[in-house]
Amino acid sequence: MTQPDLTSLFDKLNLQVKSFQEGFEVLSQSKKLEELAKHFSHILRGNLLTLNVNIFYKKDIDSEWCELYLYKKKSKEFLNQVEIGELPRIIYLQDAFIKIAISLPLIDKSYFALLIGGKVDNSEFSELDKLTLQIFLQLLGNGYIAFLNQKKVKELLFSLNHRILQLNSLIDTGIEISSLEKSDSLLDLALERSVMLTNASAGSISIYEGDQLLKTVNFPTALDQNYVINSQHKLQTKFEFMGRLYVFTVLEKESRDGIVDFDDTDEILLSAFARQLNSAIENEHLHKEALENETNKKEISLAAEIQQKIIPSILPEIKGYEVAGINIPSKEVGGDYYDCIKLNDGRYALVIADVAGKGVPAALLVSTLNASLNAYLNSQIQLDELAARMNKVIYKASPSNKFITFFIAVLSPESGELDIINAGHNPSLILKNDKRLYRVEAGGVALGMFDMNLPYAGEKLIFNKGDKLLLYTDGIPEAMNSAEEEYSDEKLEEFYLLNSDCAASEFLDKLVAEVRKHTADTPQSDDITALLLIRK
Amino acid sequence: MISDFRLTSEIKDSSLIIHTEGYINNVGGQKIADEFNQKHGEEIRTVILNLEKSKVVNSIGISFLIEIIEKLNETDGKLIFTNLDSSIDKTFSIMGLFHFASKADSVDDALKTG
Repeated sequence: MTQPDLTSLFDKLNLQVKSFQEGFEVLSQSKKLEELAKHFSHILRGNLLTLNVNIFYKKDIDSEWCELYLYKKKSKEFLNQVEIGELPRIIYLQDAFIKIAISLPLIDKSYFALLIGGKVDNSEFSELDKLTLQIFLQLLGNGYIAFLNQKKVKELLFSLNHRILQLNSLIDTGIEISSLEKSDSLLDLALERSVMLTNASAGSISIYEGDQLLKTVNFPTALDQNYVINSQHKLQTKFEFMGRLYVFTVLEKESRDGIVDFDDTDEILLSAFARQLNSAIENEHLHKEALENETNKKEISLAAEIQQKIIPSILPEIKGYEVAGINIPSKEVGGDYYDCIKLNDGRYALVIADVAGKGVPAALLVSTLNASLNAYLNSQIQLDELAARMNKVIYKASPSNKFITFFIAVLSPESGELDIINAGHNPSLILKNDKRLYRVEAGGVALGMFDMNLPYAGEKLIFNKGDKLLLYTDGIPEAMNSAEEEYSDEKLEEFYLLNSDCAASEFLDKLVAEVRKHTADTPQSDDITALLLIRK
Repeated sequence: MISDFRLTSEIKDSSLIIHTEGYINNVGGQKIADEFNQKHGEEIRTVILNLEKSKVVNSIGISFLIEIIEKLNETDGKLIFTNLDSSIDKTFSIMGLFHFASKADSVDDALKTG
């Protein structure tokens, strides 16, 4: 070969190498298969000097050929000339329209088919053309790998973004759920996010108490519960709170090719949403409880204030007598009541009562008792009639489990006459000036217990100088110590006798101290109330 | 697959406006893509997707939207999302949709910019 021939071949080869490099750059930037085929057809046309380039693709060996780039429709008729194998096959045909039939196996077991017509100048393909074609086919294979890598990078990016979205939504949902106060909104939000992030078609949250279905929330809302129960493609998680079972279900994980199985990530996500929901429901419950407690505290405080106004802070002075009272409630609002009321005719009514129960309901009944007592006391009716009328009032005002034990003694100060009714209250104690002790038990049933016109039998006594009348509620004899031993009626009577020389208020203070000595560190379980009348 | 998805569409000022309602999942995404493929032509360069009545979208639904964006970008067209719920707005943002599509507060705003 001469020097000019060598130079010409060298230039040609240089040009060819440059063309291969440019060709690969163009092919590797293809975003779609059609684009890849179009670019490759342009490269072939330029290098082989032929217009008739047709490119086909099949996903796998059993699929049909689909056209990617067609120069002539007629070329499809030559697809049967393409022979598929594990290696590229180039068949040169003796046909005027299609000269070359090529099959190119690809990395993912798919195939390209190329049908190429004759050269523009009608010349035959040279050996250099054939060599160039082989190199370009290799280039097409590499271009396809670059295309697949680009697709994979795109899918990976999408998948990474989706993971970020899942994490972000999990955090956002936690924050949003904790700021919501209504259970319904909590359920809706948690369900929507779970369905969305697991790529489910639908979802449902059902709440059961025992076997009873209390509530169901669905997404989409028209979802049929039978569909949820019978679905073969579901993921479920459960949690329990306050005796209720929450069943969290997502249905039918979607893909572009149809329904697929839920994976481990879906399970983790669903459990995380369920935990967030559980925690939010628990917080909501605690928040409500705290609000209710606050309201109750305010109500109790108000009731205590009213109660304190009902129980007298100062008792009237009775000439020739000494009277003192004490009330120590066990809760903020107690159910005990006492009073000494001066009547219009100069007499005095000494009253003590104990409502079954404590707190606001008991305080309300005490208030009713106080109002009705004040209304009836000056109406000049006998005590048995007064007790009967008050029984009706309390019966109507109280629930079935509430009643009031009640003791009243109406004193005529000058004569010392005591008119007494005991409506179910523990006996009062009269200590005579000669140290004899009497229990006053006469009366009838507690107020508000029955509405059957049961009679109240009164008792009349004469209260002499030095005599004492002690009214008290069961909080004194029944006060318990840590060994669950009551202070007892016997000890009370003994204390009464031993301290008979004390002034009225001094006696009551000592009595309370004595009871507290007995109970020691044990918290007070019942109200302590007492009223003492002494005739000087 | 279960679906509550519905859509309506209209053509206004050479823009295709698709109004969706319900969960944009596989079914919803396919319906949007079908509507787009059917109505999109040379005279329509802008597609407006009004998501006012769609509050939830999953990644399968998003993959259909990306395909629409890619097809529009090939022909110098554009996709504008409107009336986005804050949760969907964030979802699209994380999934990178706003790199290739835009958003507007309302369909009218989108028509002005389109």
